Amino acid sequence: MSGTIDYSRRRMNDPSRPFGMLSRRGVIKAALASGGVLAAGAGGLFALRGSAPAVDGLKVLSAHGYRTMKHLAASCFPELRIEPPRLDLARAFDGYLADEPAIAQKEAGQALLLLEYGPLSFEGSLKTFSHLDHDAALSHFNRWSSADSLLRRQVAAGLRRFCSLLFYDHPATWAAIGYEGPAVPAEEPL
Amino acid sequence: MSGAILDASNAPVPRRAVDVCVIGSGPGGATAAWELAAAGREVLVLEEGPDRTGRRLTQRDAQMYDQLYVDRGGRTTVDRSVSIMAGRALGGGSVINMADVVPIGDDVLRHWQKTFGLSDFSVERVAPFRERAMADLSANVPDESQLNRNNRLLREGATKLGWRGEVMHHNRVGCAGVGACLLGCPVDAKRNARFVAIPKAVEAGATVVVRARVKRIEQATAEVKLLRCARLDEQGYHEVDTFEIEAKTVIVAAGAVGSAALLIRSGLGNTHVGKHLSLQPQLPVTAVFDDDVRFFRGIPQTFAVTEFEQRDDPRHGWWGFRIEAVAGTPGIVGSLLPTLGEEGRALMALYPKFTACLVLFPDEGTGTVTVRDDGRPLVDYVVNDEQKERLRAGAKAAARAWLAAGAKEVLLPTSPPLRLHDEAELARIDSVPFAPATTPLISAHQQGTVRFAASEKDGAAAPDGRVYGTKGLYVFDSSGFPSTASSHTMAPIITISRMLTKQLIG
Repeated sequence: MSGTIDYSRRRMNDPSRPFGMLSRRGVIKAALASGGVLAAGAGGLFALRGSAPAVDGLKVLSAHGYRTMKHLAASCFPELRIEPPRLDLARAFDGYLADEPAIAQKEAGQALLLLEYGPLSFEGSLKTFSHLDHDAALSHFNRWSSADSLLRRQVAAGLRRFCSLLFYDHPATWAAIGYEGPAVPAEEPL
Repeated sequence: MSGAILDASNAPVPRRAVDVCVIGSGPGGATAAWELAAAGREVLVLEEGPDRTGRRLTQRDAQMYDQLYVDRGGRTTVDRSVSIMAGRALGGGSVINMADVVPIGDDVLRHWQKTFGLSDFSVERVAPFRERAMADLSANVPDESQLNRNNRLLREGATKLGWRGEVMHHNRVGCAGVGACLLGCPVDAKRNARFVAIPKAVEAGATVVVRARVKRIEQATAEVKLLRCARLDEQGYHEVDTFEIEAKTVIVAAGAVGSAALLIRSGLGNTHVGKHLSLQPQLPVTAVFDDDVRFFRGIPQTFAVTEFEQRDDPRHGWWGFRIEAVAGTPGIVGSLLPTLGEEGRALMALYPKFTACLVLFPDEGTGTVTVRDDGRPLVDYVVNDEQKERLRAGAKAAARAWLAAGAKEVLLPTSPPLRLHDEAELARIDSVPFAPATTPLISAHQQGTVRFAASEKDGAAAPDGRVYGTKGLYVFDSSGFPSTASSHTMAPIITISRMLTKQLIG
């Protein structure tokens, strides 16, 4: 597969770093290596990503990272496509990262960057992840879960588990799955 | 004189000298603290996690995994094949386990004697401590009314196939059937370390400090050891400041990963420290029935299929695999399923109709623990081809059991997922590669990183628990186990910890 990076069995796949070490340069190199976007060059790549709207109060994620994460969440969970969503998984991810080590924060951002450029890097698309429609974005993300590349599988597994755990932990999702909530009232607010 | 439970996040911890410092308050550390305090030693227990009981155990996935598990529930192997679930709370793993009580088997003890030269671990010597552990845990067999439908369906399937099985002992008393055992019990029904050994230790004078992290052990060959520690903030995310403890005896009981990481950070022990890690991986297998099962209520795990276990295996002691019913709250269940989008929504809408089980298999100690530059542990473990064969055999058996019980569909949560509807489709499992990061394998029973051995050529700790190359420094937790001790390690840890503590007291 064009542009695939094999990071298997390397220390950079550090479990305490949610998505393994991946340098910004590496992401761009991988993207450039993809035949479909060679002509675009680095400047063109950033142009394809486009601008992301500013988001107030982010602690770790960039506006672009927030947008990627939000698009992923809405692609994974159709319920989140209504604006404003009842649950902002991207902001929850940002809040989670705020209390993680700096290296984990950095690499989570890099993982989202890799995901954003995934359609270009690995599938020759001229759209970045956030510009795919939800069905196409989900199909792309699902392919990461069983990709040849361990790194992409790791990114997919980490993001999917985080999103799913928080999504289904939220009371707004329970009625649809026939769960009436905790059997014993909690003592403190969540 | 009664001791106390203190929270280091609230106030500075003064430098203090004690007879014994116990690192970790799980079944191993708490039992040692109880025995030593009762014997008149001045005991200090340091625990990194919080003290949460009763309704502060909120049954909410995100909050409880964050607060009660190591690395906020996110620890995995280097290749992300296996999620490593371990407790980080007062009472350790016994706060968040399934409350199953499966004592260490005679076959395992015979294996340890024969293979690792642990003549001190004879069946005759261990047996009284094993019985005592069962008593401490108030071990009892759930009655028929306490088997929820998920467990009964697994039993029904196994019975139809003519397979052996058992209802496991547990340590619940006054269970209300909340069903969120992995997130702690909000009605405090688990007779665990938090509610048995810790109160007894405190009653006998021990001081317990939560939100206290031990970063290094120094002077490990001197009469008095120095522990360099840090206070954590209320949520346990960040270190607030540091403090020091002096102790004549140090007992490390921070779990197989945590104990090894601490020794490595401290530069202690021989080359076996961090080696021989057993993860005892577990594979979830889900099924969907036509009518409601509501597996998320009642006791999640009581019935186990034992048909495929091999006892007294010549090479491993205990081998093969077993299948145990399991259930989960929505967050963890959702996170284990690989389907998203409309398909995922349709699948999770069937949540009340789900059943689930785990294929649990003993493994050889082939993993390693090392530490990163910042001191956090790295767990390297490869699911090898032999294990993958057992995974396939186990997945097939689990699927057969659910189908025999009437499931309309069995779901193997691999990426891509495998959805099976009848026996003829089981052969599809043969082609599942179980490549890293494609299957949500879980480890709840890590063992073996500071293994006991008669000689320091073969292990990291002597049969009395003393770490080779140190003086007065012991491991009394599952890190000493040279092979998987049981399908559920709480009772074996209590058993061995008490035996070794009694030996230490003399």
